[in-house]
Amino acid sequence: MDALILFALVLGLLFAGVPVGISLGLSSILFVTFISHDSLSSVAISLFGVGNHYTLLAIPFFILASSFMSTGGVAKRLIDFAIAAVGHFRGGLAMASVLACMMFAALSGSSPATVVAIGSIAIAGMRKVGYSKEFASGIIANAGTLGILIPPSIVMVVYAASTDVSVGRMFLAGIIPGALAGAMLMLAIYVVARKRNLPAESWKGMFYLLHAGKQASWGLFLVIIIMGGIYGGVFTPTEAAIVAAIYSMWVALFVYRDMGPLQPHPWLQDSDTDVSRVGFQGTAYGASLFFMVSILTFFAVGTSEEGMQASHWLSITIVSAVVCFAYIQWRKTDDFSLANALAAAVPIWRRNVGLMLKLLIPAIFGGQSRQTILEGTRTTIMLMFIIANALLFAHTLSAERIPQMITEWMVGIGFNWFTFLIAVNILLLIGGQFMEPSGLLVIVAPVVFPIAMELGVDPIHLGIIMVVNMEIGMITPPIGLNLFVTSGITGMSLSQVVRAALPFVAVLMVFLIMVTYIPAISSWLPTLMMGPEIVTK
Amino acid sequence: MAAYWPHLSLLILIAVLWLLELRFYNIMHHIEEHILITIIALIMVVSFGQVVARYGFNTGWSAALEFNTIMFSWLILFGMSYGIKTNLHLGVDIVLKALPKPVEKLLALFGALCVIGYGLILLDPFWLEALGFKVRGGAIDYWAKMFKIGIGAEELRYPMWAQEWFGIQARVHRWVILSPLLLGLALMVLRGTQAFIDIFTGKREALISAHEAEDLVEENKNILAE
Repeated sequence: MDALILFALVLGLLFAGVPVGISLGLSSILFVTFISHDSLSSVAISLFGVGNHYTLLAIPFFILASSFMSTGGVAKRLIDFAIAAVGHFRGGLAMASVLACMMFAALSGSSPATVVAIGSIAIAGMRKVGYSKEFASGIIANAGTLGILIPPSIVMVVYAASTDVSVGRMFLAGIIPGALAGAMLMLAIYVVARKRNLPAESWKGMFYLLHAGKQASWGLFLVIIIMGGIYGGVFTPTEAAIVAAIYSMWVALFVYRDMGPLQPHPWLQDSDTDVSRVGFQGTAYGASLFFMVSILTFFAVGTSEEGMQASHWLSITIVSAVVCFAYIQWRKTDDFSLANALAAAVPIWRRNVGLMLKLLIPAIFGGQSRQTILEGTRTTIMLMFIIANALLFAHTLSAERIPQMITEWMVGIGFNWFTFLIAVNILLLIGGQFMEPSGLLVIVAPVVFPIAMELGVDPIHLGIIMVVNMEIGMITPPIGLNLFVTSGITGMSLSQVVRAALPFVAVLMVFLIMVTYIPAISSWLPTLMMGPEIVTK
Repeated sequence: MAAYWPHLSLLILIAVLWLLELRFYNIMHHIEEHILITIIALIMVVSFGQVVARYGFNTGWSAALEFNTIMFSWLILFGMSYGIKTNLHLGVDIVLKALPKPVEKLLALFGALCVIGYGLILLDPFWLEALGFKVRGGAIDYWAKMFKIGIGAEELRYPMWAQEWFGIQARVHRWVILSPLLLGLALMVLRGTQAFIDIFTGKREALISAHEAEDLVEENKNILAE
């Protein structure tokens, strides 16, 4: 009975247009004050104690990393790379858009940002070669949701924090389902493209693919840093997020130069001669390789007794130097020698390093960078206020033993894991309509987790099911976030977007059923890499 | 009456902040945003420093974890009132939009009252007692207890120079760490009241944004329309 009052309070406040966080928090406070007559001090302390969830501290920095990576420039590079990779299939541009969304989603983790950044370039591109607007927008709206499934994902961090499973496992578990969802969307596109005879791009060759991949690699390396750092055991997920934020800030400001005071200064200028260009590019490849391989080696051996050895450094240096010389040897004409090229590269390096040093302080503390950090901070506050109050709410629920009551009731009337998962799917699909995904997870996870354990469902598997549900919630009416965003940027009405997205939503629904009833899709990889999950609760 | 000095000081502090804001709105707004950015930056610097110190120099700061979690709490506590002020918080507007304008305004006013209530009850529910309900505890009550016993943090220490100059204990007082809880909740009440007045006089329409990408969509409105 008391439980019903609590839920009625939340829903009442929510639909009256009270902010989500306040609705959750105020209901808990009122419940504690008037019904369970506990001390309010404990509520106030739990509000303060939200920061003690060390895992959640990863969230602000994943958001910051994504703010620096969610620029048009990064989107452009990823789309180029995707087109070079899959553009030559029938319906290739649409498939490339899905691939670009998957990569961008991995970097930014935000579905609306993915739709805007990739959509604004890809939809226009698809229109130009004759795709219908409905088809193009439907694809982007759907593919944009992959952000919360492909690691690193904030929703997974929230699930891990509220059920005490490992963030690393959740991230690993998301890889295969994420790739599968993308592949299924691409397959659906291919079938439609065959039927409607949609155009294919020309194959631009392996060299172009490598070139585009190189352009995108600085951004995509972010994912390697996060995943590698966590699995190498070098970082905690929170530290990985912070390193990722610093890395993406550095890439955005100094490497890609999409923002900040270095924006008007490209690495190479028109006045640079061919000799110096070849030399510079060779040395740049060598240096980048050195940087990336050093980091990977550090992830592999950083936690061992010896750490990085001189022999490691030596072999990395030799490999990088060989690559550098080989590139120059390959590109050089008869007019100059290897030494000429290397010497000619020095002024370019001096110019760029000088610029970077001179503009280091203005770049980091300057207007654009500060604005990006502020945006990230605002998103963090918005999200964390909901999560903090959802934690208060979950705390009140468990103080009243409501999860246990529901567990006993559900097991009592004969739910098995099969029917239970259907119930979870339906509950989340409806809930996902009205609540922000992370907030909903914080509330629902403590309720369904004990039941799932009772019925023998794998905790990681359950987490992935929940994430996929949230994902589908973003593209189902009435309140699908991605539908709003797509409708906003394309100028189509909401119902038009809903109809355009529908065929691909059906694909994702099939995907949801597969993920729900084939646990191996989500649990195979984490079990393979980290051994079977042990539930301590 | 003596037990109410934390309430009074908090009230005075909020009043001073409010007056300063009336006089120097832009500066105060700037300071507020910079406090938030600084907290994020501090966590970033400390954590990154920890990683570098651990692998580069095999050392570390024992209080880093505690410092970071406290800063994280502070960020949320200072941020929540900033969120009300800048219309950042998410809400469900599906019912609101279906209702006639005057009712929508009424509900927005109700929302602002909820914000005020949230802050006031958590700060100290003694005023509910005056209405005849039995209540216990609250943030101020807990803070006052901590102030009285002067208990310290687990790992966090005052810097040496501060210990020497002021002759204080080594551990950072728990009440110092908890102060932003009071300030944050009190600011929440202030922002709620301001929102109520602004909505009432028609200067502001809503308390919530319908979805997290509202600004993003607004910036890119119809860029692909034909």
